[in-house]
Amino acid sequence: MSVLSDIVVILLNGLQQGAIYVLLAVGLSIILGTLKFVNFAHGALYLVGTYAGLFVALNVPLSNGKLYEWGLTTLGLDWGFFAALVMVPLLVFVVGLLMERFVARPFYDRPDTDQILVTFGLAIVVQELFRILFGSNSLPFDQPERILSFGSFAGIPVSGPVALPIVGNFPQWRLWVIGITAILVALVYLLVEYTDFGLVVRAGTRDAEMVRLLGIKITRPYIVVFGIGAALAGVAGVVGGPLNVVNPTIGTNILVPAFLTVVIGGVGSIAGAVVGGIVFGLTTAALVSLAPAWSQVGLYAIAAIVLLTRPQGILGDEEVAP
Amino acid sequence: MSEKDANPSAKDANPNTSETLIGGDLLGRWEQIRGREGTVVGLTAIFVALFPWLFARAPVVSDFLQGYQSLATLILIWGIFAIGFDLLLGYTGLLSFGHAAFWGGAAYAAGIVAKNVSGDPIVMVLSGTLFAILFAWVLGFLSLRRGGIYFSILTLAFAQMMYFMAASPLAFLTNGENGLTGVDVGSLFGVLHLEADIPSVGGMLLGTWLYAFVGIFFVAAVAVAYRILNSPYGMVFRAIRENEQRAEFVGLNVWRYKLMAFIISGAFAGIAGSLFTIHGAYVPLQSLFWTESGDIVVMTVLGGAGSMFGPVLGVGLYLYIENIVSTIQVLTIPFTDIVLIQDFGYYWHLLLGIVFVAVVWVVPDGLWGIIGRARTFVSEKMGGEQ
Repeated sequence: MSVLSDIVVILLNGLQQGAIYVLLAVGLSIILGTLKFVNFAHGALYLVGTYAGLFVALNVPLSNGKLYEWGLTTLGLDWGFFAALVMVPLLVFVVGLLMERFVARPFYDRPDTDQILVTFGLAIVVQELFRILFGSNSLPFDQPERILSFGSFAGIPVSGPVALPIVGNFPQWRLWVIGITAILVALVYLLVEYTDFGLVVRAGTRDAEMVRLLGIKITRPYIVVFGIGAALAGVAGVVGGPLNVVNPTIGTNILVPAFLTVVIGGVGSIAGAVVGGIVFGLTTAALVSLAPAWSQVGLYAIAAIVLLTRPQGILGDEEVAP
Repeated sequence: MSEKDANPSAKDANPNTSETLIGGDLLGRWEQIRGREGTVVGLTAIFVALFPWLFARAPVVSDFLQGYQSLATLILIWGIFAIGFDLLLGYTGLLSFGHAAFWGGAAYAAGIVAKNVSGDPIVMVLSGTLFAILFAWVLGFLSLRRGGIYFSILTLAFAQMMYFMAASPLAFLTNGENGLTGVDVGSLFGVLHLEADIPSVGGMLLGTWLYAFVGIFFVAAVAVAYRILNSPYGMVFRAIRENEQRAEFVGLNVWRYKLMAFIISGAFAGIAGSLFTIHGAYVPLQSLFWTESGDIVVMTVLGGAGSMFGPVLGVGLYLYIENIVSTIQVLTIPFTDIVLIQDFGYYWHLLLGIVFVAVVWVVPDGLWGIIGRARTFVSEKMGGEQ
């Protein structure tokens, strides 16, 4: 192991870790930037995504929880990971639409603190529901072996090591996580920057009243933005599930780094969320291999330094940021 | 604390003190006395004295409540925490998600001092509170750079940093994941053992010295909070909550007031955290985790942010449900055998979460607000013109 290969491994691991943050932060950021809504239940959407991923992709044995008591010993349809990758975002998208309509919309005109409180309460309720249904034990979420395998087509292998130039063998799934994230974030970026839909959304960010006066129904783009943000959290749950433990507390645990990513990157900026996520991912990965005890603390230290020097975030707009 | 910045006309804002309803109806008299500081503190003291007896030993009531002495102490400790938290959330309008840092940090500070320096309870409380004040100053300085939601997120983040610090880099001090065990709490003034019953009352009313110790801090907390809130200084807090910009334009240094509100509430959390260590002789790592901040938020909002005793009511309710109601196995309709919910205790947290969401949604001033509205309704029916 040379120093160079160590560095590359840290970079790759950092990008993979950062990718999960990016997926969550982009969703949070577009909701926060566009709708001015603080979603403390974003972690709950990640939680829903992970469990829904388990349900679609794998047959996971249950050993406690209400579902087990009711006679369901396994959780899953065993439709494979690719199916999960398609279905879970759709499901969480719908959850997002419902959340916008029934939770967020009544709170747009109420103080920020009320938005935080109600979504925080919702996060507790979701977490408790999952704990009661699936038990509080950690569930195994195996990395997918192949995707797109049907009929005679064997599919593309996505797990196991892959030989890379400098590094040697590297867990392949981590590269897939980076790739999937890059594609999705690029899609969202194109959608927001280069389509009419994105134009309305961005105009709404600046002045929702004016958009309304121009005769554009702003509620529809809003609900879609919320749905997209939610779907991204769902994807994060599916692709991140196999890399972390799966239990009902993951939603609340991931929320803090996700929010920090948004604040560090700059609210409302997709590029900011990406930069923030990568900074955090690299910091964590570097500290995990250099000073494991400080790996978590480093994240917050970086956040403190950035906020002291640039309170509006790395790529934040001073004008828009309150 | 200079009071000259404060709005001088703010003193007249309390209508109860300015009214002259001498010899009027009883209700009016009571309204007049009720607002006085002495009354509030005195009634609090009487309540604190009666509380464990009512809760754990009174003939009929406590059979129904099934409380125990130690829980009464815990409720008062969290009550101090909640009063301080409400100074910030309810009166200044700042939602901090980082108060676990002050609560847990003070608990650790008190525990570490007890292990390495002195186990004297007063020294423990002083060192814990001092730590919380200093830490609140730093954390407030960092977090108050941004307002609104960013403040909530930043307090949350920096408090989380504290948790991870205690979890591993500082594990040599904090004992890491296992929590700080083996804290030896000394006796009060060197003679009074905290677990011992208070002799003169035969343990009938106040119970143990520990309870009395905590109770004194509780009454003092109520007195101090009441004094702050009814001073021009505290009026500025409310002004900031109502309209920060306007307060700024009037010429108030909003930043300084917000920082002071944050530090004061941190100090309350520090006192409570130190008392928590004295109470349990143990500091779990969990006490620094952000869900602990979430708990105090839930308690305060559930009871009613922006009122003096609402948060304490919330604390009582939360801890009561967590410790007593959660042990109920089967919920039946009273006096019958009809089962309403099987494994009722299993769902306590879920039910509390649902109630919390409902309270935020429908009655933002919490249960205390409901009681207040009921009281106004009744007094309108009874008293007439008031």
